[in-house]
Amino acid sequence: MKRSTLPYGLRRNRKAQIQMSETIAVLFIFFVLIFFGIIFYYKYQQVSFQEKQEELLGTRAIETTLKTLFLPELICSKGEAESEDNCVDMLKLRSLNETIKQYLDDYYFEIFSYARIYVQEVYPGNSTFILYDKQKPDATREEPTFFVVTLRDEIAGKGQELHKFGYLAVVVYS
Amino acid sequence: MTSKRSQIEMVGLVVIVLLITVGMLFLATFALKSDPHKKIFTRKGLSYSTLSALMKATVETNADCVPQYQGLESPQIGKDIIDDCARYHDTDGYSQYRCRGPVSGERLHSCDFLHEMMSYLLNQTLGSWNKNYEFHSQLIVFQETTPQDLIEPVIAGGGCPKYKERDASGLFPINTDAGLVENVLYLCD
Repeated sequence: MKRSTLPYGLRRNRKAQIQMSETIAVLFIFFVLIFFGIIFYYKYQQVSFQEKQEELLGTRAIETTLKTLFLPELICSKGEAESEDNCVDMLKLRSLNETIKQYLDDYYFEIFSYARIYVQEVYPGNSTFILYDKQKPDATREEPTFFVVTLRDEIAGKGQELHKFGYLAVVVYS
Repeated sequence: MTSKRSQIEMVGLVVIVLLITVGMLFLATFALKSDPHKKIFTRKGLSYSTLSALMKATVETNADCVPQYQGLESPQIGKDIIDDCARYHDTDGYSQYRCRGPVSGERLHSCDFLHEMMSYLLNQTLGSWNKNYEFHSQLIVFQETTPQDLIEPVIAGGGCPKYKERDASGLFPINTDAGLVENVLYLCD
């Protein structure tokens, strides 16, 4: 076996240098891993924040839709009898737009916030009734929700109550 | 010396295992994320409200359902039309109500009219919102166990087979002279 010609002190120094560079390499890899971990976590947080925002908007869309569907100013009623679900009274519908416009800021905004609500007749006609329209100036996202409803018309039929077919659309903004 | 080194290596191994576990946990969080609440609520509510509205809807006066006064000028789909279809299901050609179809414009047998009407209304609503759906109307004749299709099922976008995540409107049973008619609407994305 060939023995090193370097003096003992120099040999120890070199070994220490190798160990030092090994430690540096390990530390480098460790920090790279930490860096990637931080980036991954940041991206994950960003995505989950967006998802949370979407979820909140979805919840608001549901709430607004339910409020509209059960709005006494709109729902089909007959005296003291229980009101009919998924039904919009055309008599009320025709005049509601004006009422909402009149009390938009001091009453209806608290109920619907920033939203656009309209009723679309599908059969037999194709009329659109815009009930509420308050757009958010800096809106970045909108969430539409649709619900099929029957439109009860008591004056269109010849003595017979007509039920037209349509849908209620609620678009909320954030 | 050797023991200390192996201890350090063990620590390294533990760190790697921990990192892998954390990564797996993240993956599981992504994979097991359930459908948003809104999606489920909307699908359930929409299927029910759609069928409920369809059943209540009346045919327009211009559809000339009755040539001479025999019944209502604007028959209700979920009552008069379905009842008429169930009653004259096997009678080829004859039915009390013969309304003009919303697409063909021709006066049709109540069963044909029912099919055309359902297809048209569902296509105008659920179809335009890119939803897949399936509508079934089955007649259960008194003292018979097997139900038979009253009309051909209305299916769009490949329908909603059992293996798909779907929501049903619930059964809308209608008692007719010919038997019990069960209507159901399936909705899926």
